[in-house]
Amino acid sequence: MNPGNVKIRVENLRKDFGRLQVLRDITAEIYEGEVVVIIGPSGSGKSTFLRCLNQLEQVSGGRIIIDGQDLTDPGTDINKIRERVGMVFQHFNLFNNMNVLRNLMLAPVDLKQCSKEEAKERAMTMLERVGLQDRINAYPHQLSGGQKQRVAIARSLCMKPDIMLFDEPTSALDPEMVGEVLDVMKELARDGMTMVVVTHEMGFAREVANRVLFMSEGSILEEGTPEEVFGNPQNPRTRDFLNKVL
Amino acid sequence: MIQIFQKYGPLLMTAMGQTLLLALYGLFFACIIGLIVGIMSVLNNKVCRGIALVFVNLIRGVPMIVLAYFIFFGVPFLFNTILKIGSVTLTALQAGSICLALNCGAYMAEIIRAGIQSVDIGQMEAARSLGLPYWRAMQRVVLPQAIRTMIPSIINQFIITLKDTSILSVIGFPELVNTAKNVVAATFLSFQTWGIVAIMYLIVILLLQWAAKVLERRLKYESR
Repeated sequence: MNPGNVKIRVENLRKDFGRLQVLRDITAEIYEGEVVVIIGPSGSGKSTFLRCLNQLEQVSGGRIIIDGQDLTDPGTDINKIRERVGMVFQHFNLFNNMNVLRNLMLAPVDLKQCSKEEAKERAMTMLERVGLQDRINAYPHQLSGGQKQRVAIARSLCMKPDIMLFDEPTSALDPEMVGEVLDVMKELARDGMTMVVVTHEMGFAREVANRVLFMSEGSILEEGTPEEVFGNPQNPRTRDFLNKVL
Repeated sequence: MIQIFQKYGPLLMTAMGQTLLLALYGLFFACIIGLIVGIMSVLNNKVCRGIALVFVNLIRGVPMIVLAYFIFFGVPFLFNTILKIGSVTLTALQAGSICLALNCGAYMAEIIRAGIQSVDIGQMEAARSLGLPYWRAMQRVVLPQAIRTMIPSIINQFIITLKDTSILSVIGFPELVNTAKNVVAATFLSFQTWGIVAIMYLIVILLLQWAAKVLERRLKYESR
């Protein structure tokens, strides 16, 4: 793929939890419209890295720059940035006290992005996109895992983000529901969304990713196209990991 | 018993009114204190958490009767005699309300803290990730879910506080127990008088419990 504009620039990112170094000096660039899949063993810092990108984790050092705005600068309004950076969680995190429609309408209306009518229209469009337009009145506990995750994706899309972060979106799902969620994500990728995906779905990485990053012990050890990383891994630890999961 | 009630009924009913008035004032301010201190104890700010912790432990560590004496006699004495600044007087109602508010407020704070912490952290993170500021997320997503789990404990605390008003008979507030003491002193019919008082408390608390059940049912999600 021809690299377009740099959407996210990560410079020398460090994250410590107390004495534990979770991320060590990570530098990376993510381009507009690119799908980057991060793989690696558990505990390697993949999720922490992703959560730093919208500052759910405060960084210990280094900089994260999205569209020219430095997230680590105290003067940056992080809430404004988060409006444009959607996040999908492993455990869905739908608001349990609201039905599907209100889950989708809450943020756009509360943050005055649009009127109630427009938010509802948007919500209906997004639900249709994920194939759940008939469940608007359901509460989260009435949905299956796959449905919950599709609603969660729709909820993020209602804010009209230009970047989407996925934190192991299929890891908490029953196997037969993984497909429906991945299908929605593939469609998003086709539509040109900039996506950063932490996942154990190697098939998805192969099929959809423009670039694969392999992380281990808080560093990016290898990166390249899926063909390069899966077909001819250079780093012994990448080889070892791929041998175990493939 | 009936004769006693016929003769002293109006007096005891007035006293019950005073008890309820005291409880109402106390609970009202206790809710405010509880909400503020409860939220302070879940904030990311060490100073706020410290203040909340000290307040809760201080109040929980002192018997309410001591707190009542301290506020009613001790605090005016401090201002008037020790510091010699102005003449501070507290009525028994004021001192009693403060005492109940502080005591009940400390326990309410613990209930509210536990309620907020029982809501999965992911709820807050999801709301923040959409761009909602902390307080909006708290107000729209976390607190509504927390309140649902808190209601039974809050009702329980209300009942305890209502009964605790009887402790304030020691500072001379004319609530039910204090008045009943006077009735016994005048008639020597302690079995009958205390029997009537017990039944009066019981009725009020049963009514409160019934109202709580109705409220609890209303607050459940439409779908459940």
